[in-house]
Amino acid sequence: MSVKVEASHDGIPHEKVMAMGLVLALVSLYIAVAGSYAGYDYLAFFGGIAAVGALIWGNSTIKRLCSYGIGTGVPSAGMLAFGSGVIAMLFAAKLAVISPFLVPIAGLIIALIVGLILGWISNSVLNMKIPVMTRSIAELAAVGSLALMGLTIVATGHITFTQITSFTLDILGITVNMYDASYIGAGIIAVSFMLGAIALQHPFNACLGPGEKQDRTNMLTIECGFLSMIVMAVISFAFVSMVAAWISLIIALIGWYWSYKKYFALSKRDAAAWLNAKPFSDAEE
Amino acid sequence: MQEIIIGIGVTALAGALAAVAGAAEDTESNIGSQGDPNSQVQLAPQMGYTHRIYNKAVSGEPPAYTLWVTLACGIAWAFMMLHVNAVLAIIFGTVLATFVQGIYATTAYLGRTASLSKFGQPVFIDVLKSVTTVTMGHAFVAIFTTVTACYLMATVLNHPFSLPLLGIVWGLALGAAGSATGNPYYGKERQYQNQKFGAGVPISASGNIVRYAEAGQRSSIDNGFFTAKLGGPASGLCFGLIVFFELWRTVLFEHTWNGWGAVVVGVVIILLFAILDRYVEKWARKNYGPYTAEA
Repeated sequence: MSVKVEASHDGIPHEKVMAMGLVLALVSLYIAVAGSYAGYDYLAFFGGIAAVGALIWGNSTIKRLCSYGIGTGVPSAGMLAFGSGVIAMLFAAKLAVISPFLVPIAGLIIALIVGLILGWISNSVLNMKIPVMTRSIAELAAVGSLALMGLTIVATGHITFTQITSFTLDILGITVNMYDASYIGAGIIAVSFMLGAIALQHPFNACLGPGEKQDRTNMLTIECGFLSMIVMAVISFAFVSMVAAWISLIIALIGWYWSYKKYFALSKRDAAAWLNAKPFSDAEE
Repeated sequence: MQEIIIGIGVTALAGALAAVAGAAEDTESNIGSQGDPNSQVQLAPQMGYTHRIYNKAVSGEPPAYTLWVTLACGIAWAFMMLHVNAVLAIIFGTVLATFVQGIYATTAYLGRTASLSKFGQPVFIDVLKSVTTVTMGHAFVAIFTTVTACYLMATVLNHPFSLPLLGIVWGLALGAAGSATGNPYYGKERQYQNQKFGAGVPISASGNIVRYAEAGQRSSIDNGFFTAKLGGPASGLCFGLIVFFELWRTVLFEHTWNGWGAVVVGVVIILLFAILDRYVEKWARKNYGPYTAEA
């Protein structure tokens, strides 16, 4: 990448963005988990809000990490985050046998540990010597885990290991367990993985350049989060009740439309000119 | 025997679908200007060359196409679970994936262009409207054909992977084929068409990409017209051959030596292509390069 990557220095500091994203993600996850514990899947849409919160945090981390000149590494940071996030999320989902309320916080802690190990390897063993590397990779792993848990809840309404690996079907009064048609068995987790990974790397990658502004990048993060939620809400028709799926879909559509419009307005504010079917004027002509 | 004949038929059909997918993918990425040649599009305004070329910086083509294809596969699977006909389900999946692709494309163009405001690069709304829809059209063709090939593998050939996992594998392969085969043609031939033939790409020409048409200024739809002639079909051939040989060796040799037959044939195919590629490279270097002044 030939462009010099410059993160905007003005605006909200990273620690504050991180705290806001983390709180939003955890609170939303707990509301969704409480809903599923009580037997209602109508609150599944909170998973999408959790994913948006996690992505806001992750976007700020990527910006901080990539201001050390890792231009072409922006998309791979998204893959790395969700790769380590999958491990943490599956491990945490298994802990639901103790209590489902353990899953979100366990996912966060396990991801931080996995990320710290990966960060230590890349910084000390591979000798990358980037000051914020270890911390950033730990943060990205946590973001990946939280966002993945959020998208999983939107799709299935659950976060426990047994419920995301089996799909119960009533055939002529007999309950049949189909593992092939579950969230994990059918590979829908692969869709969540890709949706989250691209949504995490896209905002900073799309807005990088000398004129990058924090509020515009954050608005794009929110837009990417809701766009991913739209897709998961459509897939959720196969898993959750019709009403719950419609609630998720409508909230995702409203959130996406609002943030997309806002992002357009912010781009118009920052652009050098906003031309419609007019040629550019060239100094050399 | 009948199983093998059906397998060969599916192999041929999937290979043909993949050829269409590869050609559409490369044309789509060139119109939107994605992948490595995009760095020149990004650089041009900083060197003083304002342009009307799209800037679809979503990510590299392989991750981007992995998302579109996996997404379409996942949604197609969900609709099939809801007892929707498979053809319709694949179309629904592809439509939603194309919608997501279009949204990502517009946000990337707006984001990158607005961040270049320091160099006076304007946002062109007409480019946004006309080019995005054309890339979406090509993306639809590429995604639909790839998902159909994945569906054929999953159902007719009984592939052990689920549909979205096949989507990850083949979406990545599609993006990689288009990026590796088609991009050099777009990046080195098209973007530097205004340089002297055989001059290579000197540092002084950095950012001085093709910006003018026969009359007026080009948008990057014209890149599609240019690269659809050779770059697109070459990418199609590449991806088509990958899918064809992969399925062909599996269908014919998977029962030989407990499955090792297919592995051995795969290694032989790779070796054959490596020798062939080396021969073509040497032949091309001897006949076309390096540049020498006419005597």
